[in-house]
Amino acid sequence: MHIPDGILPATVCLGGYATAGAATWYALRKISRQGNPREGIPKASLLTAAFLVASWIHIPIPPASVHLVLNGLLGAVLGYFAMPAILIGLFFQAVLFQHGGLTTLGVNATVMGVTALLAHQIFQLRKVIGAGNRTVLAVCGFIAGAGGIALATVAVFTILFSTIPAHLDVQAERASIYALTLAHVPLAIIEGIFTAMLVLFLQKVKPDVLEG
Amino acid sequence: MINRIKLFVSILAVSLLVWPAAAFAHGVDINYQTKTAVEIEAKYDTGQPVSEGQVTVYAPDNPAKPWTTGKADENGRYIFTPDPAKPGTWDVQVRLAGHGGMVPVPVGVDSDVAAAGTGYTTMQIVLMSACVIWGLVGTALYFARRKN
Repeated sequence: MHIPDGILPATVCLGGYATAGAATWYALRKISRQGNPREGIPKASLLTAAFLVASWIHIPIPPASVHLVLNGLLGAVLGYFAMPAILIGLFFQAVLFQHGGLTTLGVNATVMGVTALLAHQIFQLRKVIGAGNRTVLAVCGFIAGAGGIALATVAVFTILFSTIPAHLDVQAERASIYALTLAHVPLAIIEGIFTAMLVLFLQKVKPDVLEG
Repeated sequence: MINRIKLFVSILAVSLLVWPAAAFAHGVDINYQTKTAVEIEAKYDTGQPVSEGQVTVYAPDNPAKPWTTGKADENGRYIFTPDPAKPGTWDVQVRLAGHGGMVPVPVGVDSDVAAAGTGYTTMQIVLMSACVIWGLVGTALYFARRKN
């Protein structure tokens, strides 16, 4: 899911930084217009820590091994704070663990951050469909959690598929990209269930966390 | 004189014995020279090998154009023989499904053996992670306290 250094051409990396910058600016602008922007910082900070650790939790899905991403979960719970949280989390992952890279930080932040913002919009639908209904909350949580990573996987698939260097065995690389993409389908279901469980738990113990 | 003729005949006989042996070799001239090969082994951070990953080797004089390409075996191993006439740092990239990395390999220059990855020990990574997590938790606690 994290695209490392040396895989993408420089133009794509620069484009990634441009889109990540625009998305972060948009998210911060939305946050600044909220009643009290400071209120969202504690949960954003804690979930940034969770996002950082999540990349170490590997799930063996033959023939590959995938790790938790949690971008959909962050989008559902944090709203617009998800974008800066993911950007900071990705920076630390690149520097500390070599998950992703600094040249591809913009691309990765766009892929995971923008899809997290989309997951937030999906989760907000619960207010339209049935506010206060736990089933609706769980379903929207599942779709947000699973949809966030599913959209990110499609985005990564598209980027990788369209930038395979000519000197490689293109067919072999495409086949391996297909396999990796399919390996993320079970992960999307796992993260969807996890997000649904978390939002149900938060709704029960601290419902104001989900507001925003 | 007789001795000279005997000697000539003996030399001729030896020549006749040796010459056909050379003819059976079909003129093949085999030489050899020893060269230093480089073996790389690519693994994911989970320890799994990058099985059949695609390998691209870049020579020091042209880091933009691949010098050779190949494929690692099922154990993520790949062997290539760099051109000794091109001393310097050779870059080897291993890639599979958009995942991979690059390792610098010093050839013909005094340098330590290079290794890809973070260069940190597991304990260092754990400690750094703990520091970052503690910073994030501290930030959360700080802003939560101000709210009250």
